[in-house]
Amino acid sequence: MQAYAPSFRPDRRGLMKAAGALAGLSLLPKGTLAAEDKQVNFYNWDTYIGETTLDDFTAATGIEVKLDLFADNDELFAKLREGNPGYDLIVPTNDFVERMLVAGILMPLDHDKIPNMSNLGANFRDASFDPGLKHSIPYMWGTIGVGYNTARTGDISKSWKHLYDSDQFAGQISLLGDGQNVIGHAMKYLGHSLNSTDIAHVKEAEELLISQKENIKVFADDNGQDLLASGEVVIAQEWNGDILQVMTEDDDISFYVPDEGGLIWQDCLCIPNDAPHPDNAHDLINYILDADAGAAIADFIQYATPNDAARAKLGPEYNENPAIFPPDETVARCEFQLYLGEEHVKNINDAWTRVQAA
Amino acid sequence: MESYHRNRRLFWLLAGPGSFWLLFFFLVPLGIVWTLSFGEKAVIDGQISITETEITWTLANYLRALADPVYLKIIWKSVWISVFATLLCLLIAYPVAFLISFTSPRRQAWLLLAVILPFWINLLIRTYALIAVFRTKGYVNFTLEWIYNGLWLDHLFGAFQPLELLYNNFAVVAGLVYVFMPFMVLPLYASIERLDRSMLEASLDLGAGQFTTFLRVTVPLTMPGIISGVILVFIPSLGSFLTADLLGGTNATMIGNVIERQFKAANDWPFGAALSFLLMYVTFGALALRAVISRQSGMPA
Amino acid sequence: MRLMIRRFWKRSDPLDYANRLWMKLFIGTVFILLYAPVILMMIFSFNDSRRNIVWRGFTTKYYEKAWNNDGLIDAFVNSLTIAAFNTVLATLFGAMIGLLLWRFRFPFKSAYDGFMALPIVIPEICMGVAMLAFFSRIGWPSDLPWPLNLSSIMIAHIAFSFPFVAIVVRARMAGFNRELEEAARDLGASQWQTFRDVIFPYMRPGLIAGALLAFTLSLDDFVVTFFTSGPETVTFPVKVYSMVRFSVTPEVNAASTVLVLITLVAATFMLRFQRPQEAGGP
Repeated sequence: MQAYAPSFRPDRRGLMKAAGALAGLSLLPKGTLAAEDKQVNFYNWDTYIGETTLDDFTAATGIEVKLDLFADNDELFAKLREGNPGYDLIVPTNDFVERMLVAGILMPLDHDKIPNMSNLGANFRDASFDPGLKHSIPYMWGTIGVGYNTARTGDISKSWKHLYDSDQFAGQISLLGDGQNVIGHAMKYLGHSLNSTDIAHVKEAEELLISQKENIKVFADDNGQDLLASGEVVIAQEWNGDILQVMTEDDDISFYVPDEGGLIWQDCLCIPNDAPHPDNAHDLINYILDADAGAAIADFIQYATPNDAARAKLGPEYNENPAIFPPDETVARCEFQLYLGEEHVKNINDAWTRVQAA
Repeated sequence: MESYHRNRRLFWLLAGPGSFWLLFFFLVPLGIVWTLSFGEKAVIDGQISITETEITWTLANYLRALADPVYLKIIWKSVWISVFATLLCLLIAYPVAFLISFTSPRRQAWLLLAVILPFWINLLIRTYALIAVFRTKGYVNFTLEWIYNGLWLDHLFGAFQPLELLYNNFAVVAGLVYVFMPFMVLPLYASIERLDRSMLEASLDLGAGQFTTFLRVTVPLTMPGIISGVILVFIPSLGSFLTADLLGGTNATMIGNVIERQFKAANDWPFGAALSFLLMYVTFGALALRAVISRQSGMPA
Repeated sequence: MRLMIRRFWKRSDPLDYANRLWMKLFIGTVFILLYAPVILMMIFSFNDSRRNIVWRGFTTKYYEKAWNNDGLIDAFVNSLTIAAFNTVLATLFGAMIGLLLWRFRFPFKSAYDGFMALPIVIPEICMGVAMLAFFSRIGWPSDLPWPLNLSSIMIAHIAFSFPFVAIVVRARMAGFNRELEEAARDLGASQWQTFRDVIFPYMRPGLIAGALLAFTLSLDDFVVTFFTSGPETVTFPVKVYSMVRFSVTPEVNAASTVLVLITLVAATFMLRFQRPQEAGGP
């Protein structure tokens, strides 16, 4: 019996470095005792920071930001699973914060270094997935809902039914491409919790999807908004921010969070273990939480910010946009995705494979 | 072919670097994943661990893949899609490679470059461009509609119905051809280029038609190129997942997608490893079968 | 019309396939299909919209944006560096293995053959994960100065691309007439001279094809690179992948257009340069 525990890794690493130095590969000593290099490696989603935020941060602090991008949480997790390849600041979504906490790959934050935490709204000072915000700072939040082309669908009720249980828009429907969200919302439509671990509920959702499949055009890989904008589909399940982007270019496109409720998500700023520049990462978190910087970010990316001081600096076209800030009663019907253990992840993914193969 | 005894120094010189590289930088990493396929998620403090895998030499991962018909069904489907893509590639690439080989050396270089150039553009950008060309309101449909209306067919048969060219198995096959075409053209070119023209002339002089000459002389002589092209297209397309992801419809899942999901969303590396190796065993089985058949029929492998 | 038919079937030189009308038509269609998406991409790099959907006016601002996007430029340079390095080594190793498999008979050759085919057979993602696990377990240093920090990506690329070269070279050599080599040896040429003057010229189209294959494989690899890259070693496909998944930005189209142009210019120079040598070639 043999477990792949990475306990011997540091020694090997040292050995390798020594070998590298012997071989003459000019290894600049990265002093662990000396102050950090003026650099921070930020691993973020694309178009998810203000246009000049990082340059402004560099100008203010002298710390260079090396920005690298990931496309989804699964990738982020896969990349960090075997050890941190050198990132200082990452932006996982709430259920992945939870998953990373269980896996023990996040560094505890030093709240004393983030005085701007006081700018956070009252609802965001704590989190069910990370009590006391010990490892994560809320960055942006939003929902998953339905984007539709009003010119071609007409007025429709705010329901998941049009996507999951109706042939009214047969061949013109797109759903998201990941099993967790598609099956989760199917369970929600069926009146269960998004987070139900009951195998019977998962089965019910699976059967609903298999019978609806002939009406669905595509399980879109994060590009439902493009399909909607190009007229390929008339109704699409998507992240609110993605639909918002095409709403600015096409007046016919609209968005709702169904009355049955949906998913509410929160992306967080976290520092992974073994980050080479944790102090700089704290500085960057603090800068992002600043009122002006936060306002510039929110204004540019058009997602809902938990930063009340930043919101105060923005006008009603941002603060009162229902596609950014859905009404409270809608939010009340939505649920956070929870991390429910490996067994549940397996059940969902197996069901998803069967749906796709059917 | 000579025995390695006759020239040991040359033998080791040629074998050395490649074998060393493959052994240390490929076989060792592969070994890690191979052992993972006999593992299961470790249980630490009564909870199934997210990151740790325990190698228990269990066969459960393989049995899980074999017991549930859904995986074999997807593998079978992937095989068919790859077969069609490979055939289509061959049908298109052969004339192209043939033409390149029969022009002057200078034009050869230019034509080779022209064929390869589109493939230096990132796969995703190319695929998205393909979507823009083929979608319902894409350029193919625009052109067809223009021709249709130009021929006054809309007065005869009603308005033009756009073709549904995306999000089905046809789109996946076409997408794969668009991804793997160079892997077919290049080996074909390398083997057609050396075709001895006097053999073709002799065949034609002896009264065989062009078609007969092609089938009885050209194809057998270029068979090594055809075989390597088919291998280089068929096998990678079997394990690909991006094309099916972006161009496929609701049931275009290929085995590559399932494997990818195990390593990402499902976070089940042991099962992903088992599926990968299962696919590799199948491929090696097919390659061995080909070797046996070609040996029996006396065809050079 | 009759003239066309006659031209269609004209048989001045039965082997002059390149000048047949039907051949030209076929090749023309293939090239249109190959290039339509590329040209579309180029056109849309000038489109004043973030999406490839509707034309909203001409602009060059995305070229400016791409030029000022340090991350994109770095990724671009990384990709070209890796691809160049990979092409040289993979072609060298691949050619050697190709010659080995063509020339020698040795024990367990079929097994060795299978071993060489492994990188082709393995699903990309599985290889990516294998590389991730491998490099993190041996503790390969990730903080080396450029371009040594690209070493793990290069190692992985060479490992998966040189067997492709070997297959192509071997297929090329399969038609070589060994008597030529023996004749050269009989005439007193040394082993090296025989290789240089007889085998190598014959092998050359195989080498060109193999090198192009290795370059293409490396330049466009996303999956394996994703798992071997770190914050300092992002390549173009990895960068593009994360950008495109969110919005098909013309910035990426612009960068790709530039890549195509660079390639064309470089190729033109190389072909001009090579021309005098080629006069005596086959």
